[in-house]
Amino acid sequence: MKASLLSRYAPYLFLFPSLLLLVAFVYAPALENMVYSLFSWSSVRTEQRFVGLDNYRELFANPVFWRALVNNVLYAVISIMFQVIVALVIAAVLVGGIIGPRQRTLFRTAFFLPSILPVTVVGLLWQLIYQPTIGLIDQVLYSTGLQGLSHVWLGEEATVMISVIMVSQWQWTGYMIVLFMVSIQAIPDDLYEALKMEGANRIQQFFHITVPGVRESTLILAIITIFGAFKVFDIVWVMTAGGPNNASEVLGTHMYRSAFRNDVSGYAAAVATVIFLITLAIGAVQIRLQRQD
Amino acid sequence: MKYSRLAGLLIGTAAAFGFSGAAFAEVTLSFLHKWPEPENMAYFEPAVAEFEAANPDIKIKMEAVADEPYKDKIRVLMGSNEVPDVFFSWSGEFGKNFSRNGRALDITDAVYGGDWKASFPEAALEPFKYEGKLYGVPINVDAKFMLYNKKLFADNGIGVPATYEDFVAACHKLKDAGIEPIAFGNQYPWAASHYIGELNAKLVPNEVRLDDYNLTSPADTLYTHPGYTQALADFQKLNDDGCFNRGSNALTHSIARGSFLAGRNAMMYMELVEFNQVTADSQLGQDGWGFFPLPPISGGAGDPGLLTGAPDGFMISAATEHPDEAIRFLKFLTSAEQAQKYVKITGMTSSVNGSVTPDNASEQAIEGLKAIDAASGLALWLDTDMDARSTEVLLAGSQALLNGTDTPDAIMARVRETALAVQKERGN
Repeated sequence: MKASLLSRYAPYLFLFPSLLLLVAFVYAPALENMVYSLFSWSSVRTEQRFVGLDNYRELFANPVFWRALVNNVLYAVISIMFQVIVALVIAAVLVGGIIGPRQRTLFRTAFFLPSILPVTVVGLLWQLIYQPTIGLIDQVLYSTGLQGLSHVWLGEEATVMISVIMVSQWQWTGYMIVLFMVSIQAIPDDLYEALKMEGANRIQQFFHITVPGVRESTLILAIITIFGAFKVFDIVWVMTAGGPNNASEVLGTHMYRSAFRNDVSGYAAAVATVIFLITLAIGAVQIRLQRQD
Repeated sequence: MKYSRLAGLLIGTAAAFGFSGAAFAEVTLSFLHKWPEPENMAYFEPAVAEFEAANPDIKIKMEAVADEPYKDKIRVLMGSNEVPDVFFSWSGEFGKNFSRNGRALDITDAVYGGDWKASFPEAALEPFKYEGKLYGVPINVDAKFMLYNKKLFADNGIGVPATYEDFVAACHKLKDAGIEPIAFGNQYPWAASHYIGELNAKLVPNEVRLDDYNLTSPADTLYTHPGYTQALADFQKLNDDGCFNRGSNALTHSIARGSFLAGRNAMMYMELVEFNQVTADSQLGQDGWGFFPLPPISGGAGDPGLLTGAPDGFMISAATEHPDEAIRFLKFLTSAEQAQKYVKITGMTSSVNGSVTPDNASEQAIEGLKAIDAASGLALWLDTDMDARSTEVLLAGSQALLNGTDTPDAIMARVRETALAVQKERGN
């Protein structure tokens, strides 16, 4: 009797500590944040005035918010292209036996290396590479007679966002390649053998075995990539701080600037709630898709 | 016998130390400022040690973060109620924001009630006042000057410009000679705010400008003076005429400064506290350098004698548990003796009376201070004198002006709109 009671409740006993931590540091603050978003207050001015949904009204009327949201979507789309699609193709090439095992290790290490660098270092490094006139890109363009293509990459509104996004791709695509390589290697070899005997070429093998074989990991990696794109803050803050003229503002930097520069913490809480709802929706889609398997 | 006496002495001394430790409950003051650079910490670290040695009952926990992140850090600390006992503040609106919201300690009596007030010129205290009460003491006074490379000026037959027109003409001349006239890094757009602030002071009547910055102008005239759009247009024209280096929006101020120090640009708009960055072995140091205030604009409605600049200083948290100790610490830092060391070691200028002497300051720094004295007044840093939200609009706008993607009229309309919203919130 006693033993069965214990075994019935034991799992909950083990779950309790982590649940407690989650509630205290994730769910409660998230809820509290939603309450904060209904007030007008700042970090300097402590008294709070209830304003209902005013912060949200202001948010949806603010062109900077929409610019930030569009930038996040752009971030997500380009990240999926590079960190999922391109990464999968490169991983398949590396695993596929086209190149020898030593070259494979060399390429894998080379691609992986940027992901172990701190974001701040990467940001400052690329800031120098993008630098007008003295930067590496401009010097290459000038020395090859292509100065017509030169831009002030981080200083022009039209080029700044894509420039920052490409740095993220440079940093993280290699990491994704390694993850894809692992899951491709888990596909049984005899499947490839069978298809080869049927006379399928490498491209057909890729589409008929590799892609379906890594479907599960692709889904998870895609979701992680999208999450990352909507939560991005550090690389943007280090490289451009959202400028020039808010052209590289993303939701994360817009929230931070509102709270800690403009002294409108209630508004910042509203931005945070919007980010939370977006990521929640993506999470829901993920769970839905996984259930279908 | 001898041994035992010595032992007794040792035990006695040890006991006395132990006792003293127990008798004076030790007070720890947290102290946050914005000078983490090694050349500046070279002053602050020994100063704190010296204060602790003279006041064994007080321990100072010092922390420093750089200029740009300081603006966030202090707000995070305020928001989480972890306000340092003593903290750095710019004068003007940045500091008033703390005074207005009851986060800074009223030190009127401490300063004016005794001889402490004799340490400062009254003009340096004024920007730390809010509604007649004093909330901060200045440590340095800073102003903005156009530094120029003497060799490049001489090579191109250019003298120090006396009027704004001369200044623009000098830019054209340099540009035609193939020299990028002014080094300018506006990735963090406070750099543009110094130009715009100075132009505002020259083009907008002083009272109008101050009422607008303080949001005390009537709602129907707030930020409507044509001088503001003129200032933005003049700033944009400097860029369109090729006075600035290429890609200023992508350069930080310090990278642009590097280019100026390397002798690649003829001028740069710099702060008095940056004069120490011009080392003798740099190209600029070898070429020789001088400075001039941005010259007056003919027909400008503002005060041509104003100089952009401000005292920087320290405030005490209104929530501190140790106001007396905090005041003691600030008195120590602003004593003439400490201020002299501060000037000598950091190369910055101090607003403490009698702190800058030919013994401890460079020729240019002393001249700079004279120029501040000669000015009719200081126009405080625009980005710490206007309310934060309107500033953000103007600063982002400055980057758009450099890229040619927005117009002065449209930017000022947005500034006005934002300022009206903040004014309404504050209930002015």
